[in-house]
Order: sequence, then C-alpha cells, then structure tokens
Amino acid sequence: MVTFKGTREAFSAAMMELAEQDSRYVLVLADSLAAMRAARFAERYPERVFDVGIAEQNAVGVAAGLASCGLIPFVATYAGFITMRACEQVRTFCAYPGLNVKFVGANGGLFAGEREGVTHQFFEDLGIMRAIPCITIVTPSDPAQTRQATHAIAQVNGPCYLRIGSGREHDLFDADEPFELGKARVLAEHGGGNDVALLTTGLVLNRVQEAAERLAAEGIGATVAEVHTLRPLDREAIAALARRTGAVVTIEDHNVLGGLGSAVAEVIAEEGLAAPLVRVGLQDVFPESGEAESLLDAYGMGITDVMAAARRAMERARSR
Amino acid sequence: MKETLPDLARIANGLRADVLRMVHVGGDGHPGPALSVADIVATLYFGMLRVDPERPDWPDRDRLILSKGHACPVVYAALVRLGFMPSEALGTLRGLHSMLQGHPDMVKTPGIDMTTGSLGNGLSIGLGMALAGRYSGRDYAVHVIAGDGEMQEGIIWEAVMAAAHHGAGRLTLWIDNNGWQSGGRVTEIAGLEPIAPKLAAFAWHVQEIDGHDHEAILDAAQVAAAIADRPSAIVAHTVKGKGVPFIENDNSWHKRVPTADELERALVALGEA
Repeated sequence: MVTFKGTREAFSAAMMELAEQDSRYVLVLADSLAAMRAARFAERYPERVFDVGIAEQNAVGVAAGLASCGLIPFVATYAGFITMRACEQVRTFCAYPGLNVKFVGANGGLFAGEREGVTHQFFEDLGIMRAIPCITIVTPSDPAQTRQATHAIAQVNGPCYLRIGSGREHDLFDADEPFELGKARVLAEHGGGNDVALLTTGLVLNRVQEAAERLAAEGIGATVAEVHTLRPLDREAIAALARRTGAVVTIEDHNVLGGLGSAVAEVIAEEGLAAPLVRVGLQDVFPESGEAESLLDAYGMGITDVMAAARRAMERARSR
Repeated sequence: MKETLPDLARIANGLRADVLRMVHVGGDGHPGPALSVADIVATLYFGMLRVDPERPDWPDRDRLILSKGHACPVVYAALVRLGFMPSEALGTLRGLHSMLQGHPDMVKTPGIDMTTGSLGNGLSIGLGMALAGRYSGRDYAVHVIAGDGEMQEGIIWEAVMAAAHHGAGRLTLWIDNNGWQSGGRVTEIAGLEPIAPKLAAFAWHVQEIDGHDHEAILDAAQVAAAIADRPSAIVAHTVKGKGVPFIENDNSWHKRVPTADELERALVALGEA
C-alpha cells in the first residue's frame, strides 16, 4: 500500500507504479523535481528523468519529441507554466498531432497557490485546456483520486491534462475507490436530492459536501455530483441532474469563465433545459496571497457561498 | 538512395522546380525559403538519411524536422521523389482535404517526422527525439532545419542550452542562413550575427559552410555525425530563392505565387523546362 500526503505525492507515487510496469513512462521536468515530489522516482529511475531547467516551453517540446518516438512522457510542473507559458507547445505540438503526452499541473486554483499570490495561483488552466481540442482534462478532488486519475490518464492514448494542488489537500476517498474517466459521480442525495444539484470539480469537494449537509439541515435536498473529467464531459449525467432538480450550482476553484461553470452552462443551454445556474468560483477578478482556506472563503468559495448559491438557484427556479 | 554529387545537384534543382509548380498550382506558398534550403534537403534525403518509404514509422529511421515549416513544399517534393507519396499529391498543396497542409503535419503526410510551422519549436522536439533515441538504445540521427530569422525565438535558446547540458549527440541543427526573414533583412529587424560563436559559447560543436555546396553539406553532416557527446550546429550560408535569378534575394518571394510566365522562366533557369 502506497502512502502519500497530498496530490503531488499521490501523483509521484502513481508514477512509480507506472514506471515499474512499463519502461515507456518517463518524467519531463522544468526544475520541478522537488515541487512534484519526484526525488524517489529520480533516484530509482534516473535515466527516465529529463529535466530541462526553468524552461517550460522547451520541456513541452522535448516531451513532444519523446512521445513521437514512442515514449509516454509526463510533463510535471506548475499548472500555469504548462497551460500559459507553454500553451502553444501544448496545443500545436502535442494536442494537434495527438501525441501521447501527459501534463500534470500543480497549484491549480487559489487553495493550492495560496500564499504565493497570483503569480502561482492558476485559475485559468481549465478554460485554456478546454479551448484546445482533443485534450483529456481531469481534476481529481483528493490525493487518493489523484493516484487513480494518474493511472486512468496513463491508459489514454493521447494528450491529457491532470490538475493537482499543493500538498495540503483533504483526504476524501478510500485509496481503492475507483476513478472512472469521463463519468460524473453522484456522491450524495440529501433527502432525495431533488431540490438542487451541486456540481463540483477539484479540491473544493469537501466544502461542497459540508454545504450540502448544512442545506439538508435546513430542509433543502441537494444532490452532490463530482464532475472530475471536463473532457470528455459527461453531458448526459449533467443534463439528467439539471432536469431532475431544475436548479444547478457549479463549484470550482477556478475563474467562473471557461471551467466547469461554463461547461455546465453550455449543456443546460444546448439541451434547452429550464434550470437556473449559479456559478461559484473566482468571480473574474485577480485574488491575492493568503492562507488557503481563508482565501477560498474570501473569494466566494466559502461553504456559506455554496449554500447561498443553492438557495438563489432554487429561488430563481421558483420565480420562473 | 546515396546519390552522387552531380545527381544531388540535379535533384536539388528538380525539387526547386517542383516547389514552384506546387505553389503555382496551389495558388499559395513560400517559394523563397524553400529554394534557399533545397540543397540541404536534397543532400540529406538523397545522400545521407536512413529512411524507408515503405516504412514511414520505422522506429530506427533518421529524423528530419523542418523547423522553418513554411519551406515545406521542398520537403514534400523530396518525399514524393523518395516514394513516400504519389506525385499527384503535389498538385493539392494547401487545398481542402489535401495530405499536404500549409505547414508540415506528421499525421496527414507520410514521411513528415514532426508537425511544425510555428517558428522556433523544432529544436526542442529534436532534442526530445535524440534523448528518446539514447534512452531506447537506438542510434538514429536527428536533423533539425531552422532559419536564421527563426533563431530570434526564445525557445530556440532554451533548447540550445538544454541540448548542450544533456550532451545530446546525434542531434544536428542546420541553420539556413539566408539573411532574410518575412519582414526584411535579419540584420535590420533583430540581428543576431555572429551566430556561430554564440552556439560555440553554449558548448555546441559548430561548423560554417556554403549551404549550396553539396560536397560541403555532406562533409559537414559526416563530421557532425561523429560528434557523440554534444550537439552539433551547421551554419549554412545560403541565398534566399537560390537557383532562380529573378527570385534570388528578392524578399517579395518570401510568400508569392509565380505566374505561368514566371514559372516557365524559372523552370528554364533551373534546367527543368
């Protein structure tokens, strides 16, 4: 049984497991070995570590070259340095030719970037990756699921993006809880769960679960569903939940533009569903440094924000 | 496939003629940069590279990355001549549903080792290929062809640094040093001469040659191939539009379609009429 603390260690543990199985799995780093908790990997498999230094565009280019020759590189560094600094390399030289490159972005969201401030808080990555065709996009909600998700994307023959955090994530799932790529997962249906659907992705799931329990105490029946895969998006499950509840809230540690909130809005609009949507997330502003939990509270992702959003969505549904 | 020097000269001009025909028929493309690099492309594909048109995905093949992807018609012409594709493909350049995209596409075009076109990226990818070869115990060579203007891209220097650090032998960077870029003379826009000492300062093995001398190209390639412990650069001095007097050093031909009359005159100049 592997042990790890946080999503970075969980990713690294999964890499060790993958490397034991198959010599094609290699790691491409941009001076990110320590950050990605990959020291043990590098010690065990030194010939499988390609560190190009602080040069993310080059790292992604090198990964494209490695993948074109049959290896399966995981490029692992901070989320924004992959999705913004090296955005074009990801798009044109990995996604477009369909090369089997995996991207692992740390510090996804405010909770992970926390005290580092805006330069190291990445809340646009999901929107950027969603705008590029053909990339599988996964945002697990805890360390155990990060390990499972790493194995899941390893099985995909094509480019994938895995969003992880900093190391202070809450443990929510058992280690052997499966991760089914592309499938939204209903985690709770309080009182039948027909009043409102709380759709969430990533490391704020614990907050959503807590909000749902408190709403239940007020007599509001929420369904909590985790949409951990943004591509391929489980449109059927999202549409079914919107139909059943008639009121939808999305919760993500990301700008409300481009990520889960946008994806769900697209489904609701395109399916012509009569379900008001309230998006909880960063409200299209730049945040600041701060302690992780209090940052989420300060920027609209508090438990009470989720509860208020649920009430608002239900109110709008009633007043239609 | 290893052609004699006179044959290489003939082939290079044949590729040039094909480039101009393709751009004329397709109605779009970059003749100047393609003509500039034709001798290097011809010498590599017909005098040096280990490739097999029957097996475009052969894991042990040598790789060629045209980092200055806009010059791709000359590589398409070479791949057709080698038998990777039927010659009819040449008439479809840049057209809808063509296997010959405006810039190289490794999925659509057999023989293209890497998708390119956005400048500066080929060397990083070539480094990845070279490192993969070393890791996998394969001895294939990786050739990257870049333009001199392209050397202005920052990622080039990231790759130059990393390739030296990783001691990437089997990696050769050809710089098609024709002195021009899209907007004018390299020296006037953002000059980076002298290039060779800059690369040498990064611990690369560096040679400078006449990029239209097939013997010099072959010799330099062989010297580079023997350098096992570090990457190798060959600064090839070339003339943009080489081979057609009215195109040479006229930068309006960076991207321009020859008329029927211009095509005919060009083919005469190339001995391909």
